[in-house]
Amino acid sequence: MSDIVAAGMPVAWLIARAAGLVAFALLTVSVSLGLAMSTKLLKPRLQKDILGWHQTLLWTALSMLALHGGAILFDPVMRFGLPAVVVPGTAPWRPITVAAGVVAAYLMLTLAVSFRVRRRIGQRRWRLLHYASFGAFALALGHALHAGTDLQGTTGLVFAAVALAPILWLTFARILMPRPGRPHARARVDRPVESPQPAVTA
Amino acid sequence: MRTVWATVLSVWALFAVVAFLAWTRQQPTPARSPQSVPGAVIVKGKNGTTRLVVVSGAGTTAPHATTRTSPVPAG
Repeated sequence: MSDIVAAGMPVAWLIARAAGLVAFALLTVSVSLGLAMSTKLLKPRLQKDILGWHQTLLWTALSMLALHGGAILFDPVMRFGLPAVVVPGTAPWRPITVAAGVVAAYLMLTLAVSFRVRRRIGQRRWRLLHYASFGAFALALGHALHAGTDLQGTTGLVFAAVALAPILWLTFARILMPRPGRPHARARVDRPVESPQPAVTA
Repeated sequence: MRTVWATVLSVWALFAVVAFLAWTRQQPTPARSPQSVPGAVIVKGKNGTTRLVVVSGAGTTAPHATTRTSPVPAG
């Protein structure tokens, strides 16, 4: 590290970029694990371990995001103040793209906290809230591709393809594959509604 | 234990990416200073003679704005 500093490397900038990339990788793996659980592709005995990793990786991604934002504060070129990092749309450089990253971070924080309050808010609300993970992933990908200086051109396309492939595949698998709970639910919906009163015949 | 593993692996990944970014950081190629480029100026004298004067240094090829110091004659 001392060699890097001595060579005049922008250390804060390097750490900010690296922490952002690692945070996005962790988010991608966490979302993939969550989708893999919901598709029931994994063996039931693995579900508990995967759920643990799903949560842990999300919290680790948030730690990396804190480092990402903190390092940007110390970058002498960008000159981001604390409001620019915390409040969406107040960044002096590419405010919309930076806002996408900030909103993605808030969504991730909400999702991570939602695991702790799952019983309090109820399973149905928790599940609805969990759909925000798609928004968080999309916003984070947009932020990485547009604001990230390392992901321009072909590199960005490869990065997006590698990140999107498991998410899209698992999402389609979840939509298209039959799940154990669905046939019963469909049967309940398709069953004609029985009238509580006997039909009056003339 | 899971948290420890996740933290350790993430920090190692962070170091690896920092090292990679530092290694691949493109050093800006030093631009040639316009002051060091020699140039030639054609000087026209009062009696109509022209001379080629070679000038080395001081902004012969540097682009700069020109300002008029006197009004443009009409016509």
